[in-house]
Amino acid sequence: MCSALRILLTMLLVLVSGQSGAGIAAEGEMPPDDALSTDEQKLLRRWIEDGAPGLSKTASGKTGHWAFQRLGTHNPPQPTDAGRGRTPVDRFVLSKLDLRGLSLNPQADRSTLIRRVSYDLTGLPPAPDEITRFLADQADDAYQRMVDRYLSSPRYGERWGNHWLDVAGYADSNGYFSADTDRPLAYRYRDYVIRSFNADKPFDQFVREQLAGDELAETIGYRPGGTITPRFIELLEATHFLRNAQDGTDSSDGNPDEVRTDKYKALEGTLQIIGSSLLGLKLQCARCHDHKFEPIRQREYYQLQAVLFPAFNVDNWIVPQKRFVIAASAKRIAEWEADSAKLDDEVALLQTRFAEWFRKNREPGLVAFEDRFDKSDRPDATADPDANTKWSNSVPGDASPAGTPAVQIGSATAPGAVVEKAALRIIESGAAGDRGISTKRKFDWTPDAKNAWIQATFDLVANSVDGSPPAARIGYFIALADFNDRGEGGGNILLDGNPAGGAAVDLDYPGSDSKSAGSIGQQGYQSGHNYGVRVTNEGQDRFRLDHLVDGAVEGKSVTIAASDLPDGGFGFEYCCGRSFIVDNVVVETSDPSLDPSDRLMFAKKLAAKRKKQSDGLKALAAQRTDKPGKIAWVTDASSESLDVYLLDRGDYKARLEKVQPAGLTILSDPDNPSELRPTDSKVIRTTGRRLAFARWLTQPGSKSAAVLARVTVNRIWQRHFGRGIVSTSDNLGYSGSPPSHPKLLDWLAARFVESSWSVKHMHRLILASAAYRQSSVPNQAGREIDPDNRLLWRHALRRLDAESIRDGMLAISGELDRRMGGPYVPTKRLSPSEVTVDENSPGARRRSVYLQRRRTQIPNFLKVFDAPSVVFNCTLRDSTTVPLQSLALMNSDFSRRRAAALAARLRRDAGAGRDAKITRAFLLVLGRDATREERVVSRTFLTQQSAEYSAQVADDEQAWVDFSQMLMASNAFLYVE
Amino acid sequence: MESHFPYSLNRRSFLGGSTGALGMLALAHLLRAESKPPATADQRHLTMGAATHHRPRAKSVICLFQHGGPSQVDLFDPKPALTKLDGKPYSGDLEAHFDKQKGNCLASPFRFTPSGQSGIELSELLPHTARIADEITLIRSMTTESVDHESALRLIHSGTFSAGSPTWGSWVIYALGAENQNLPAYVVLSDPGGLPVDGGRNWSSGWLPAVYQGTPFQTGDAPVPNLMTPPNVTPGARVAQLQFLDQLNRFQQRRFPDNSELKARITNFETAARMQTTVPSALDLSSETQATQKMYGLDNPITRDYGARCLTARRLIERGVRFVQLFLSGQPWDTHSENAKTLTGLCARTDQPSAALVEDLKQRGLLDSTIVLWTGEFGRLPISQGKDGRDHNRHAFSLWLAGGGFKPGYCHGGTDDVGYRAVKDVVTVHDLHATLLWALGLDHRRLTHPHDGRPTSLSDPELTQARVVPELLA
Repeated sequence: MCSALRILLTMLLVLVSGQSGAGIAAEGEMPPDDALSTDEQKLLRRWIEDGAPGLSKTASGKTGHWAFQRLGTHNPPQPTDAGRGRTPVDRFVLSKLDLRGLSLNPQADRSTLIRRVSYDLTGLPPAPDEITRFLADQADDAYQRMVDRYLSSPRYGERWGNHWLDVAGYADSNGYFSADTDRPLAYRYRDYVIRSFNADKPFDQFVREQLAGDELAETIGYRPGGTITPRFIELLEATHFLRNAQDGTDSSDGNPDEVRTDKYKALEGTLQIIGSSLLGLKLQCARCHDHKFEPIRQREYYQLQAVLFPAFNVDNWIVPQKRFVIAASAKRIAEWEADSAKLDDEVALLQTRFAEWFRKNREPGLVAFEDRFDKSDRPDATADPDANTKWSNSVPGDASPAGTPAVQIGSATAPGAVVEKAALRIIESGAAGDRGISTKRKFDWTPDAKNAWIQATFDLVANSVDGSPPAARIGYFIALADFNDRGEGGGNILLDGNPAGGAAVDLDYPGSDSKSAGSIGQQGYQSGHNYGVRVTNEGQDRFRLDHLVDGAVEGKSVTIAASDLPDGGFGFEYCCGRSFIVDNVVVETSDPSLDPSDRLMFAKKLAAKRKKQSDGLKALAAQRTDKPGKIAWVTDASSESLDVYLLDRGDYKARLEKVQPAGLTILSDPDNPSELRPTDSKVIRTTGRRLAFARWLTQPGSKSAAVLARVTVNRIWQRHFGRGIVSTSDNLGYSGSPPSHPKLLDWLAARFVESSWSVKHMHRLILASAAYRQSSVPNQAGREIDPDNRLLWRHALRRLDAESIRDGMLAISGELDRRMGGPYVPTKRLSPSEVTVDENSPGARRRSVYLQRRRTQIPNFLKVFDAPSVVFNCTLRDSTTVPLQSLALMNSDFSRRRAAALAARLRRDAGAGRDAKITRAFLLVLGRDATREERVVSRTFLTQQSAEYSAQVADDEQAWVDFSQMLMASNAFLYVE
Repeated sequence: MESHFPYSLNRRSFLGGSTGALGMLALAHLLRAESKPPATADQRHLTMGAATHHRPRAKSVICLFQHGGPSQVDLFDPKPALTKLDGKPYSGDLEAHFDKQKGNCLASPFRFTPSGQSGIELSELLPHTARIADEITLIRSMTTESVDHESALRLIHSGTFSAGSPTWGSWVIYALGAENQNLPAYVVLSDPGGLPVDGGRNWSSGWLPAVYQGTPFQTGDAPVPNLMTPPNVTPGARVAQLQFLDQLNRFQQRRFPDNSELKARITNFETAARMQTTVPSALDLSSETQATQKMYGLDNPITRDYGARCLTARRLIERGVRFVQLFLSGQPWDTHSENAKTLTGLCARTDQPSAALVEDLKQRGLLDSTIVLWTGEFGRLPISQGKDGRDHNRHAFSLWLAGGGFKPGYCHGGTDDVGYRAVKDVVTVHDLHATLLWALGLDHRRLTHPHDGRPTSLSDPELTQARVVPELLA
């Protein structure tokens, strides 16, 4: 851990003695090996505690840390043992080994090599035919072609895309709050990343797209609402990189200060991810003060923040769910609309058929009340005696009018109720007000017998009157009693019919004691249909409210208590300028003379039919897809150049001076200055700050591009050797670890840039080396001289990561579902400690990269093997060894199922012969044949298990399941040599 | 070693080499009760006391966590002045969490009486806690920094607002390790009714290695995932499985004799097999006497759930678990409305078992070495929210500790007349962290781990001015 401190000490000594520091940094030489004395440590600690005075001055001067320089030109050295090497990479490695009297291990055997390459490049084991083919291929370039085959497999993009998703902090949830809300569209970014790796997209371009895809799209003609090309879509998807950080602003409550903090946290998280993923720097340390270890001033942190601020404007915030754009080709949209219309038709057909059935098969009832408003064909409707005898502006048992001003029965002036053209007009003005009219009669809304019912229905003739705006709701009441709440409460149940679907149910409406009871039904209120509610006795003083559309019950129902339903009238609600016309009001009850068993028969038939109906509707609903083209993206909230301020000690309320967007001073060049001047302002609508930053970062030949190249090749190296040339791959600065092979790192970075930032080229270069191809078996000299293998005298023995274990087991058992892309496969929390993927869900056997990555809900099987619950991002996985892993391998449903499938596969592939099955099993699981001793213990085990189980099962299948499971629990499977 | 971390999981065997034949040991543990695993030399980091900075008073912790912010003026902090002001506007400046409302003063409807020899005044809602008044250290002057649940939870659990930092239990086991290799060192007993607010973050190891995270145990048949041998695998078949696996692994290990991780993985199968019996037996409350079960309220449906978790906590501590934290589901103490009614119900659920735990530990001689901590994440306001609720308050809350070297029958600090703000002998959550660690033999300034390029600690004293509060210790 002291390497960083040692560098600092060296710097301090340089400072004190006034010597040039060029020797340390530019050549990247290792600092002295001897540990610091206690006094030196104390001195350093005090210096650091004092805020490391002097550091920034030195570092921003002409000399500086190796990682902040332009790429050097290093020719591969000439080690004495050059013959052991294959490529220039080896010459760098061997020359370091030379110095310690070590050399490279011999090449690993072929089956080890193909397993290593296959897992490294695709995250999956080599298939048996791939192994056979490679082992038989005696051509000189057999290895290279094998590497190329894996590089061109679509599985490659899934594997390396997943690595990038770790680094980019990808998650399918917003995190931060325990709500951890969903990011249903994040998958489009995941798929973009996988496609980009498969296409070997130049990495600098990949970075520019993620930082400023929206602005890049505009430079080539994208306009919101304009013609959409696949290229535009890809660029817009790429910007999701900037919203991988946690963003809890959709769930924030509390006071404005805290909401503001949450917004800043999202902005800061994004900057932190940019720092560690692209720059290899912990930028966040400069938020409150100048960075204590790196040459980054606090001002520079806010200059970088100013790049992102227009997109994450805390004064004009957009919550995650609102950060989207619709961009789909006209063809896709037309297809979707046609599909939707077809589904609409099918739904309508189902509903019509059900309504017809219901009318024919319903239980016959008795009409308790009806008003057809027929006697009103004459002009003087106010004189209609019926209107006055049947309806009232007060409710039964409550003398005061229902609401003020009271509704005038017979008046066409709002609020009024008048019969005209044989229908009743509900006329309300714009004024708010809880008013109503009611039947003068009251009804018993709680029929005595179980399954007995009472219902009220009406025709909705029109949802407006004489050109008034369409009523936002069609409100009607049942159990109208004590409207003014003088008595005990209860009654006055409002059914608020919604044109968008269903009716909200409010008990004891209006008044402060009013309570929602949920909603009933599903179909919306449209003119020309009949609506209403049916109350059915469910027994035990519970009554079910069903929605009636065109005479038939439909959709959801709610159940309420008898006490909510006193005897009372039926009526219509007056509110908020909602005028509408109704006709044929009918209140009907079940026939008390009906035999209870008949009633039960009707109820049962109806329940069965409704179940079928709702299943049918659900099946149709499941076929619906969201309107295509919704992309979760990032763009500037406006094109104005916003003022961004330095915050005093990072305090969100303490704004100091304004800052301008800029890159880092330490990485600026004369021809690539840190000040960012957006140049595309004529072409693009946004501020162009992110595009200017992306171009600054990837400017050919610049220091910033050198850093990006180094960070990236170091990470590629890390994935192939288990550790980077700089082991702190998120931190290449002063406080990171020094590189083990600094010249090699620069040489590789230069090749990376030279190859147009081709990641696949880097794989070829690294994988061709003898350093990569060597065996991982230890030797005496290496163990003594370099026990940590920093000099690479052998290849590392690495445990498979979580995804490779899960995906590998699925591939081995023959069950892997290779479908690519699309929305995530949901995970499920079974209990506080248990998260799984439902084995019966359609994507249960897809690759792990497609499983839902909800931050707080990572499947146990992956989590136990160190899959991250992403907070910011994950630049290096842990590789722990804990008993919970053993429990998962021995006892989990997942392991058991894979073992059963493998046992079945062995029978399919190799027939009944025991030895053939053992051979096949070792080839599938470990990529090689069994050794003689392995074969012996396998046979013994199989015999033993068969005997053990013979009492319970007829054949020895169970023994083969156990055998398969143990092979997949063995270290030989879990580790790659 | 060129690692950034001084402590690398890749390179250290947690459990050391195993000497016995795996099959035999596994058989013993599958078919019989637990036995002690062989101690080995390679457990430096995981041995009690090995990493303490000074003589420890306590070796383990039970935290009874009361999510939501228990109301101090109704439970622990009597305020006669508030009673006089009941229904009147509050004259001073006061920070309400939910902006719009600012109600009048709301007196506690509950009577306070002096309890025990020490005469600590406690609410009538806590008759059982009153019984253990002479065992507890009551702090009335706690403060925290946020009135947002999640932030305040993170602050009290990990010393910082932001997610992703290690929780206190992680720090404790990082320093002191496990005493019993057959059980996790840091166990979380969460409510069968559901996860607490902020879920697994409450026991996350943050950026410390994952092995230091809390392991949630559930009540019921499956306290940890995958603890049960698959139903169709007979004990004999399981033993043979483990033997076969052991053989395969030893063949492979011969090629890498220097690799301690492979060795650890081999012994882990042994440990896992032992856990299959030790965990269920640790959680099996039926072996407790009727009297003990009754003491914890297991005979009463109201106290049963919480009581079972308190009793389980004692059993785990007895078996050498270092840190046990108990949770309620959701955030029940968050009494924005019906404060008095909700508190009455919650105290009926929790008061008896909490007190029983302290008494039981004492009678078993475990209280001296075990710290019991009863706390929420913040307090509540003396004014009303709506008709009968109380809003969040970060300026004052109360908590109690018992055992583990804390001063028994002692009441520390005080608040202003109405209980809004801690004014006397203020204790911050950071001071609480420093003092807890101190009692465990750890110096909060020296218990650090490199993170973000600097040594980082639970209390972060440079930033927080955290200090040990000596008055709290006996």
